Amino acid sequence: VSSTADLGPCRLIVQGEVDVASVPLLLDEARELLATGPFRLEVDLEAVTFIDSSGLGALVRVRNEAKEQGIAVTLANVSDSTQRLLQLSGLHHVFEIGLDE
Amino acid sequence: VKAKATDRNETIRTVDGWRSGQPSRLAARICVLGLILTVAAAWGTKNIDDTTEQRLLEQQTAQAGAVLSTAILLIQQPLANALIVHPTDAPGETEAFEKLIGGSVGTDKLFVHASLWRKRGDGLSRLTAVGVAPALSDAAATQAYLKASFSKATFTVTRATVGSQTRIAYALADLVTGYVVYAERAIPANRRAPVDSNSAFADLNYAIYFGPKTETSALSTTDVDPKALPLTGTTATTEVPFGDTVLTVVTSPRHHLGAPLSQGLPLILVGGGLILIAIAIATSRVLMRRRHEAEDSAALAIGMSERLQRALLPLKIPAIPQLEVAVEYVAGVQGVDIGGDWYSVVALDPDHFGFVIGDVSGRGIDAVAVMARARFTLRAYLLRGDSPEKALSESSRQFDISEDGHIATTMVGIGNWRTGVITVANAGHCVPLLLSQGDARYIEIATGPPLGTGPFTFAATTFAMNEGDTLFCFTDGLIERRTEDIDVGMERLAATVAGEGGRSVAQLVDITVRTLRGEQAEDDVAVLAFRRIDS
Repeated sequence: VSSTADLGPCRLIVQGEVDVASVPLLLDEARELLATGPFRLEVDLEAVTFIDSSGLGALVRVRNEAKEQGIAVTLANVSDSTQRLLQLSGLHHVFEIGLDE
Repeated sequence: VKAKATDRNETIRTVDGWRSGQPSRLAARICVLGLILTVAAAWGTKNIDDTTEQRLLEQQTAQAGAVLSTAILLIQQPLANALIVHPTDAPGETEAFEKLIGGSVGTDKLFVHASLWRKRGDGLSRLTAVGVAPALSDAAATQAYLKASFSKATFTVTRATVGSQTRIAYALADLVTGYVVYAERAIPANRRAPVDSNSAFADLNYAIYFGPKTETSALSTTDVDPKALPLTGTTATTEVPFGDTVLTVVTSPRHHLGAPLSQGLPLILVGGGLILIAIAIATSRVLMRRRHEAEDSAALAIGMSERLQRALLPLKIPAIPQLEVAVEYVAGVQGVDIGGDWYSVVALDPDHFGFVIGDVSGRGIDAVAVMARARFTLRAYLLRGDSPEKALSESSRQFDISEDGHIATTMVGIGNWRTGVITVANAGHCVPLLLSQGDARYIEIATGPPLGTGPFTFAATTFAMNEGDTLFCFTDGLIERRTEDIDVGMERLAATVAGEGGRSVAQLVDITVRTLRGEQAEDDVAVLAFRRIDS
């Protein structure tokens, strides 16, 4: 998990395997970004190789916490397989999925 | 991240290894290593000490040799002095010689006998003699011995015996004047060398041999019982010039010559080493016991959560008419925190039955707690008479990942066993397979988000099961592999279920789970399958 804080929207780049072991790291990074008070948080999933239900749960958590602070969360560069997972798990109802850049 | 999980398994496997007989192996290793180090250290210091001892002995032996040389000079000196007096052949002229040497001749003196000889033609004639009769009494032997002394620059030495007494005979010749001084010196009956009172001999046992060989017959003097010779153990040998021959001095230390600590050090090291080994073994045993205690409590915790998990699954599936039901739950790899998969079947009214399958994200006791809540909440709504979509919509308002830390995917269904009509609602769960006439396909179900993501209004999907059809519900542990897309796993499952479709539901579930689950699978798996059978 790495992050780039640009002016305006913030971008959280998630890489590798997102599972029960890496979720705490993802949450920490995301919260740090949210604390800087951006108007929007983009979570870039392009380099994600695997994501399990804990990982999806973490994304939901980030989205819900951001929402409480009035920050919109967008998923960006979502791969086909991640897109499929989001659909299968009904999370496409929850997330705003941005167009690939 | 996967590596991390694997590490945890590794650790636990290692921990198991510790438990099966390794404590004594560790103790043995400590013991062996400690002994090797101790022996090496002791051997090293012993070696150093031995070398030091040898060096000290050689030094002292050299000193003793020097003392002996001085003593020899003192013996030789009166003989040399006596030659200087140049007496004439006239009778009475030998008085000077008698006076000069007389002080050195007698019992307890340097010599027991001394005589003055002069060369005449080929022979030698004795001018005068003092002291006792010589041991070398044979005239021819005496002549030969004295003549030989003319060819030596220094005095000559030989041994002669009279009775039980051994004497050393000395001859010193003056080539210019033709005079020869002859003297005999007695070796003390106790064989003690007169020099051994000197401090150079204080720490030594010694044996002085006449000539270069150390044989018993050549023994001159010693301070030990002659029967105990030759000296053994640490010895040093030095040769001291003695007239035309040498004295060979062999010594051994009477006691340790170096510092007492240097001698005791190897023993101290062995003792200290053994004590340290004992402490190390005792400490390792204590640490091992603590570790075992910690492991026991960890194992207890894992065992407890697994028991809790299993206790929360239905003990007994209610019998539903014309329905063949099979369920299976398989925990993840031993030692990995348990997951929150569950299934549930409930009889609602004479015609209807409810069924639920679900999966709480994450692992551990918290996940199990969320699972318990989800399972009993949904069950309560179904028993109250709510439709699947209503039960899920209601539940979605009662779960919040921000509070629970987990989301739960779940599919809820109500079936009519008489008609085969099934109504399901899905909160992000894997859609079930419908096995019908050898064909397995995933049912298209309107899917909402998992419980915990926020309030949501779920929709229902209705389909019909013919007699003989099987509905196969499962959790993602059965299809998810890190290295491949989810669709690959889904197709594999569909193919397996279709292939085994001819079997009983229980066999189908059992074989499918065993076929698709790797030995090292981390995630847990729950399966709920039921088949409509002929009336």
